[in-house]
This record gives sequence, structure tokens and C-alpha cells, in this order.
Amino acid sequence: MADKLDVKQGTLALMILRTLDVLGSLHGYGIARRIEETSKNRLTLNYGTLYPALLKLEQEGFIKAEWRQSENNRRAKYYALTAAGRKQLARETREWNQTADLIAAFLALNGETS
Amino acid sequence: MRYLRAAIARIAGFLTGQRADDDLRDELQAHLEMATAENIRRGMSPEEARRQALLAAGGLTLAAESVRDQRGLPWIEGVVSDVRYALRTLRRSRVFTTVVVLTLALGIGANTAMFTLLRGTLLRPLPNRDGSRLVYLRQSAPGAQQHNVLFSVPELADYRAGSKTLSAIAEYSSSLPFTLVAGDGAATRVRVGIVTGNYFDVMGLEPVLGRLTTTRDDGPAAAPVAVLAYGYWNEHFGGDPSVIGRTVRLNEKLTTIVGVVQPAPHYPSETDIFVNTVTSPHHLSATMVTGRSHRMSEVFARLAPNATVEQARRELTQIASNMFHDHPEAYEKAAQYAITVLPLREALNERASFMFWLLMGAAAFVLLIACANVSNLTLMRGVGREREMLVRAALGAGRARLRRLLLVENLALALIGGVLGVLVAFAGVKLLVAFAAQLSPRAQEIRVDGVVLAVGLATSVVAAIVLSFIPRIGSQRAIAESLAPASRRTTLGRGRQRVQQLLVVAQLAVCMVLLTGAGLLVRTLTKLQSVQTGVRADHVLTLEMPLQGDLLREVMKQPENLARYEQIRDRVAALPGVDVAAIGAVAPLRNAMFASEIKAEGRPTPPNQATPRASVKMIDPKYFAAAGISLIAGRGFAATDRRGTAPVVVLSQAFARQVFGDENPIGRRVAMTGDVLKYSPFSGDWRTVIGVAGDTRDRGLDADPTPAMYESFAQELIINGVLVVRTAEDPALLQPAIIRAIHDMYPRQLIEHVSTVEQIRDETVAPRRLNAMFIASFGALAFLIAMVGIAGVLAFSVSSRTAEIGIRMSLGADARRVRRMVLGEGGVLLVMGLTVGLAGALFAARLLRGLLFGVTPHDPLTLGAVAFVLAAVGVAACWLPATRASHVDPATALRAE
Repeated sequence: MADKLDVKQGTLALMILRTLDVLGSLHGYGIARRIEETSKNRLTLNYGTLYPALLKLEQEGFIKAEWRQSENNRRAKYYALTAAGRKQLARETREWNQTADLIAAFLALNGETS
Repeated sequence: MRYLRAAIARIAGFLTGQRADDDLRDELQAHLEMATAENIRRGMSPEEARRQALLAAGGLTLAAESVRDQRGLPWIEGVVSDVRYALRTLRRSRVFTTVVVLTLALGIGANTAMFTLLRGTLLRPLPNRDGSRLVYLRQSAPGAQQHNVLFSVPELADYRAGSKTLSAIAEYSSSLPFTLVAGDGAATRVRVGIVTGNYFDVMGLEPVLGRLTTTRDDGPAAAPVAVLAYGYWNEHFGGDPSVIGRTVRLNEKLTTIVGVVQPAPHYPSETDIFVNTVTSPHHLSATMVTGRSHRMSEVFARLAPNATVEQARRELTQIASNMFHDHPEAYEKAAQYAITVLPLREALNERASFMFWLLMGAAAFVLLIACANVSNLTLMRGVGREREMLVRAALGAGRARLRRLLLVENLALALIGGVLGVLVAFAGVKLLVAFAAQLSPRAQEIRVDGVVLAVGLATSVVAAIVLSFIPRIGSQRAIAESLAPASRRTTLGRGRQRVQQLLVVAQLAVCMVLLTGAGLLVRTLTKLQSVQTGVRADHVLTLEMPLQGDLLREVMKQPENLARYEQIRDRVAALPGVDVAAIGAVAPLRNAMFASEIKAEGRPTPPNQATPRASVKMIDPKYFAAAGISLIAGRGFAATDRRGTAPVVVLSQAFARQVFGDENPIGRRVAMTGDVLKYSPFSGDWRTVIGVAGDTRDRGLDADPTPAMYESFAQELIINGVLVVRTAEDPALLQPAIIRAIHDMYPRQLIEHVSTVEQIRDETVAPRRLNAMFIASFGALAFLIAMVGIAGVLAFSVSSRTAEIGIRMSLGADARRVRRMVLGEGGVLLVMGLTVGLAGALFAARLLRGLLFGVTPHDPLTLGAVAFVLAAVGVAACWLPATRASHVDPATALRAE
């Protein structure tokens, strides 16, 4: 089994937004499962991490929630991106890529000198 | 935008907590079920599936808690729960809470009250426009024991011409009360201030109604106008705006009320009505305008822009010394004329300032003691609490969070104390105003306002913060150690104990200082009470029946006025219950209206001495008997000493000695003299001394005997009439009968200042009595608090050392020994506290020197008595815990361990 990773501060919001962008509206369990699968089970999300993050995004107006019947007839709370959420996703993706490039460049630099 | 939105969502979440909680539970439940269903699909048993799902997702409760933190405002929710918790804890330890709240209430109350006093009188800017630029000028003649000789018209002309540092000079003179006859014909007496037209402009006062006087109101051709003081307008005209334009008769002169001036402190004397100079014939007389030594005016001035008080002082001193040089006849050298320039604010509170700061200091001391005591109580409680703190810390509460809990608790205590304290101050405002009014004309400005409340609040908060940082909250490591099984008991560490003992010593010392101050003031009072006033004060009633109207005119009607006063006297003398009735121009122990320089035939005043001055008192033959003034030599006045017979006088003993030394004054001749005589209706004729009377102290019990020259009432001009009645029973019972008798004969005769001689005597002591009362009650308060403190500290020390005492006793220490040990512990604290206190008291008492009479600041009797009382009560306070310690049963104590 691969090492479990903690979710890095700030990255969870991006993962949630991206997940909802790809899959459309989804309940909390679905989001958690999807993120775990995407990470090849290197990430585990417990309630205490996931739900506050969802609530925060909702408070900020990036996602909205409503209660619906699920595919197997269970009542569940579904989250979906809002227009503001889509914009936020684009912005965060761009920033994340820039940061990643930057860090990669620095790591490369290190490799040359040593 | 995003943050604003989130903030709003949070506040909304905070308010709708319950519904959201249900929602969240459902959501988490759904999550759990979905996870379980999936696990079952993978082939787990239902129980295992559910267990795995729970494991993967983390605890439900914990999750709910962190979502709740995100949703609402956890900080506020935390504080709310802290407050609730704090109140619950405090309710449970009722004795502790009551003691702490009361202690803080007294401390904060005393401070808020004193601050209210200080702010109203000393700190608040004057209501006058640019009040800080106002100065008060005073001319004095210390060589002639004259504190304030006022200014004459020519003197002011010189100052006006010569001064560049003063932009304007205004005059104010308080004269004898005027008689005011309103439209309905009823006569009342009013205190007037005769002012120059520029007075209000210089003083920076605005009208609330109508207009104020201007320079057009100056001079003999102006119409008589009056401006009402705000307070008088409210009391006597009910704040009626239609008074403007109304005319009243002021000393028989038709005067128009033109305005009402804004409320402002009246200085140097209380004033009902301001009038222009034309209303006082005296002020326009030729002698007044040209006589350099005819001094009638108080002077207020406004500093020129950029000028400082110091510059004005230098400049005016220079002008004055030129003046003294140019007009030697008006400035007797030995009298040492001098001018002082005081900022008006300082002048107003000349008498109050020191006293009020002293009281503020005493109150601060009380608060200090209160805080020390509460810290002690908190420390003791903190020992119990430290265990609670440990447990809480072990359960995951952060240090900051624990500190917050303590802070909330102490804030609750201090704020309840503070609110009670402010209520005490509120209730005491009336008393404060009455007290302050004796010392400061600004007393009416005393009120509990926002600033006072803010200071009260700030005091509470600061006290709470200080108190919260006394109990220790251990580091994580210390917590772990303390929770180890071996350390079952927690006691104060050595350092903490030291702090506690220091607090007790400090309390005792401060107590000693306060009580010594109180003791010295009380001793002063008793000394004053035993001072011989020179009169027999019991059973004497005095009633003033002033002349009505312009005094100068009234003085001319001597025969009619004499007949009326004698008739009233004889009628009152015949009333049942009256022993003696007499008439004079002044009541016993009151300041005479008129004082003069006196010369003696054949005994010129040595050139280096100021001419002797004496109060001139006109009295009838029975006056000495009525007032109980003794006749030491010669004879008193007889009914035959009337106008047309040879003028005679009686001198007071001190004055006779001052003028004639050891020679026998009887049969010698004296006369009134001095420049001022020119401006008075009295004659400078020689008068023969027929007797010497005992001294009286008219200027207060703490002052020297007042030099006096008595004249025969029937022989001299009449300027006032005071009935002096010695009664067999309580004079208050006869008062209505006497007043009725007077009004039967003269229904319109004004009667004022009805008081017993005892009351007059006490008036001079009253401010001192209040001072002593305040300081003494602060001292008593401090004493009480400190004693609770020392008893509490020892009791605590005993109870936390039960085991130790048990061991000592099982090793052979008997009860007496244990008691001695505890008593010794308290005794050391007592001795240290008293020693430090003695040093402090000796220092502080020196500050009090000016307030003392008949006792030295280091009065051994007072210091000894205070130390003894403190020590005695201190030992008593130690006795209880010591006895309890000696009753410790070693077996029980050790088993409990």
C-alpha cells in the first residue's frame, strides 16, 4: 500500500472544484470517493476535512448545495459549481500551474549544482 | 467580496445553528450509509462494512464539531460558553464571589466617586470660551494680614495703560446683597455682582436668553440693566423666557432684565444677578473713581495672544512696583503690597485642588488594597483551580484558551463590582456636590458622565486583566508532571507564597498610612472642638434683619432704624423662654461687615509695622450677656451711650494688647483711621476706651482671635441689625415665636441667616469634618479589606499545610506549639507591614501638614494608636486560623494524605 498523504492546505478546495467541474453535481461521499480514486488511494478524506471545506466553498459562493434523491433512492445533499466557482477554478488552476512550474524550475536548478 | 460574503454566511450560520446542525447530521448520515453500502458490495459483512466506513471517515462528532467551527463564529461561541461557565462557577462559590465583588465594588466605587469629583472641578475645561486664557488678578497686603485688598479704579487704569500681556481687563465687585422687589411687591435679597460692560466678553460667556452687557452699559448715563445667573433664573423665575424686558426694583432703582447668562462657575462669590455700575451709586461716586485706595473690584483678564501667565506676572509686578513708588500714600510700606496673577482655573480651585487630589490618592490606595486582596483570594482559589486547569489542559484546552476562561471569569467579577461601584458613585453624587461646594465654585459641574463611566469600566477591565495573570497555567511538560500519580496535592510554590505574603504586607502598610491620615484629621477635629471660641455658643439664636435698599441712603436714617431695632429687641425680650435679647450689627462668630485701621492717642505705630486693624462691631448693652462674651476690664455699654454723648468703645483683649501693650487701655482714646475712612460714612473722631472684652474667633476655630473694636449700637451709624437671643430651652423651639413677633410689628421686615451660634461655629469646621470623614471612611474600608485579607491568607496557609501540621504533631509538637507557629507566621507579616506603613505614614503625614491643627504630622499618640489597633486586630485575625491549626488531628490529617 502506498504512503498515505495529508491533504495540503489549499489544495483540497481546488480538488473539489475540479471534481465538480468534471463530474457535474455530486454528493459529499461521491466527491470523497472520486478524490481518493484520482489519488490512487494515496489520499484519504475524513468528514472532518471534507465537510468544513465544502461549507467554506459554499459560504464563499463557489458552489451551491441542494437536497436530492440519489441514483439508489437515497436523500443526499448535492453540490454543484456556480459561475463564480468556475471562474475561481480557472484562476486557481492557473496559479497552481505557475507555482508548480516555479518549484520545478528551482528543483531543477538544485540538481545542476550538486 | 468573497470574504464579505463568507463573513455574512458565517454570521448567518452563527444565528441559525440548530437547523444547520440537523442538516449536517443528515448529510453525514447519508455519507456513512453510502460508504457502508459500497463496502457491502465489496463483500464485507454489514457490521464490518459500517465499522470500516466509520474508520475511514473519522469520528462523526469530531467532524460535526469542525464543520460547526467553519460554519459559525467559534470565537464568540467559545466566549459565550466561557461566560456561561464562568457565571456558573461563580454562582457555585458564593462566598468567594460575594467577597470579591463587594471588595471590588468598594474599591472601584470610591475611585469612580473621587474621579467624578476631580473631573467636575479640576480636570474639565472651563465652560468659558478659551477658559485657559483667563487670569484672575489679586492684590494683597501680607504685612497687614490682608489676603485680598481688591483693586481701585486708578490702579486698574494704570494696569490697563501699561499692560501688553493682557488683552482686556474686566471688573467685578460683589457688594452687600441688594433688595429686589418684583412686580408683586414682595421683597427678596439677592447677591449681586456689579460688573463693567466688558465683563461677559472678557469672561467668554454667552447668553442663553436675551443679551449680555456691553461697554454701552458703562457710565452714569446708561440705563440700569440686569443679567440673571442661570441657576437663579431657574430657581426664582422657573426658567421663564418672558423675564426678558421685565423691570424689577433693585435697591429701589428700576432695572430692566436684559438677559440670562450661560451656567458658569461664580468666582470669587456666588452671584444671582449681574448689574451694570449705574445700579450702584457708590460705584459712580467721585471718591470711587479717583480714590486710589478705594479698592472695590475683583479683576479678571484675558491674556493677549501668545502671552503666557509668566510674562503677565512679570509685567504686572513691574507696573505695580512703579505704582507703589509713585503713590507712596496709598501703599503703606509695612503692609507689603503685592500683585499675583493666577490662571482662573487655578484660582477657582485654590482651596479644593490639594484636598481633592489627596482624596483621589486615598481612593487609589483603597483600590490597591482591594486588588491585592482579590489577588490573594484568587491565588488561594487558584490552587484549587490549578488542578482544574491541569485537567482541562490534559483534555486538550490550549493555554490561551485557559487564560481566556480566567479572564472571562475575572471580567465578570470586576464588571459586576464595577457596575455596583458606579452605582455607589451615582448615589453619592449629591453628597459629593455638597462636599465640593464648600471648597470649589465648580461643584455644580460635578456629574457622572460618559468619561466617568468609561474610567470606571476601564478600571474594572484593568483589574480583571491583572487578576487573570496571577494564577499559573503550566506548560505542557509541567502539566504532564503534575498529572503523574505521585503529585496528588497542589500547593503554592515558594515564589507564589512570597507574592501572597508581600501582598499582605503591602495591604497592612497602605492601611497604616490611610488610618494615620484619618487619625490625624480626627485629632485635629477634636482639638478644634476644644478651642475656646470666646462665646458661650449653646442656647443662642441669631436672626439677621438687614436694612433694605441702598445702604448709603439707609445709613442716614439712623434714628428710625434704631427705634425699630430696639422695639423689636424689647418685644422679643419679653417673650416667654427668652433669657436675654440683644441687638448688634453682626452675629457672634460671624465676620463683621466693616473693618478699619485704628490708631491710638499717644502711641504712634512703629514705622516698620502695619497700622493695626480691627473688626468694627456695633452692639447694644445686653449683647455681651446674650453672646456669652466675657468682660475682662472696665465696663460694657450702658443705655446712656447714645448719640450726642461722648463716644465710647470696648476693645477685644488681643487688640487692646496689640495697640497698648501692657499699658492699661481704659480711659485712653482710639480712632478709626486710614485712607478707606474717607470713602466710608464713619467718622475718625477720638473715642474713649471704657472696657476690654474677651477674644472671639470669628475667622474660624483654627485662626487667631479676631481683633475687634466694639461701639455702642445706639451711638454709631446703623449698617445692619442682628438679633441675638439667649434662650432657656432649645432655641429652635422659640424660633417660630420670635419670627412671628417680629412680623407682627413689621410684616415686611426681612429675616435672614437664622441660625444658632453653635451652627455658626460648626460652619467653620464643616469642610474639615467632611475631609476627615472621607479619609476616615477610606481608612476604615481599607482596614476591613486588609483584615479579611490577612485572615484569609493564614487560613489558607493552614488548610494547605494540614498534612505538615499533622506530621509535626505526630512527631510531638503540641497544640500550643502549632498555634504559636501559625501566629508567628502572621506576626512576621504584621510587623513587616506596620514597619513599612510607619515609614509611609511619616512621609504621607507631612503632606497633610496644612490641614492639621494642634497636632504635629508625626503625632506619636496617633501613630501609636493606629499601630496598636492594627496589631490588635491583626492578631485577632490570625487567632482563628491558628486555633484551627492547633485542632488538627494528626491521624486524620495523615490518612487524608
